[in-house]
Amino acid sequence: MATEEESTVKEPLDLIRLSLDERIYVKLRSDRELRGKLHGTEKKKIKGKKKRTQRRRNLNLSAPGAFRPPLSLLESRRRTQAYDQHLNMILGDVEEILTTVEIDDETYEEIVRTTRRTVPFLFVRGDGVILVSPPLRTA
Amino acid sequence: MSTGGGEKGSGGGGSVKTPADFLKSIRGRPVVVKLNSGVDYRGILACLDGYMNIAMEQTEEYVNGQLKNKYGDAFIRGNNVLYISTSKRTLAEGA
Repeated sequence: MATEEESTVKEPLDLIRLSLDERIYVKLRSDRELRGKLHGTEKKKIKGKKKRTQRRRNLNLSAPGAFRPPLSLLESRRRTQAYDQHLNMILGDVEEILTTVEIDDETYEEIVRTTRRTVPFLFVRGDGVILVSPPLRTA
Repeated sequence: MSTGGGEKGSGGGGSVKTPADFLKSIRGRPVVVKLNSGVDYRGILACLDGYMNIAMEQTEEYVNGQLKNKYGDAFIRGNNVLYISTSKRTLAEGA
């Protein structure tokens, strides 16, 4: 009886937190599977609250390409987790595998077809998620 | 009518008072999780929460009684879970 308790894991959602920025396997309803990178924190760290004067200095409007897209506001606030309690997730470099089974009328043979497509950036609605797992590295 | 929490598959010792107690007591045990879709997952329960979200280790997926997949760690969304049952599973596979 292996009672393996991880120190910071209290609930299942914490286990997913350990997989941030890792490639994961997601099983969805309607016979779909995804393999992609769970979006976690970017390199931008929280620098803490800066005084207004400092922020203006850092803006550096004169530099080319200084305009920061609105998304950076989210990133600077807190550690961005690309998943929530509903299991809505943001995945990057995703491969989606769609499995269909066709039954031949005459031979009653099951033909299993898989359709794959790759998507660079994907928002997954948690509603459809069945299972989440890190991909097997060692057998 | 009492479908709150999980029901123990094999009646064992221990007086379980509430579903919450049951949930606490089965951590670390081999369990069988059946989903609404009919798919079976057998593994060692790492943890679970009140929504029946489940985290398991050494998980095996059985579809129609056939072993289909093995997962090192698996997280199952609670709304898909039909039941969680303890099982006296012999750990055939080594870690």
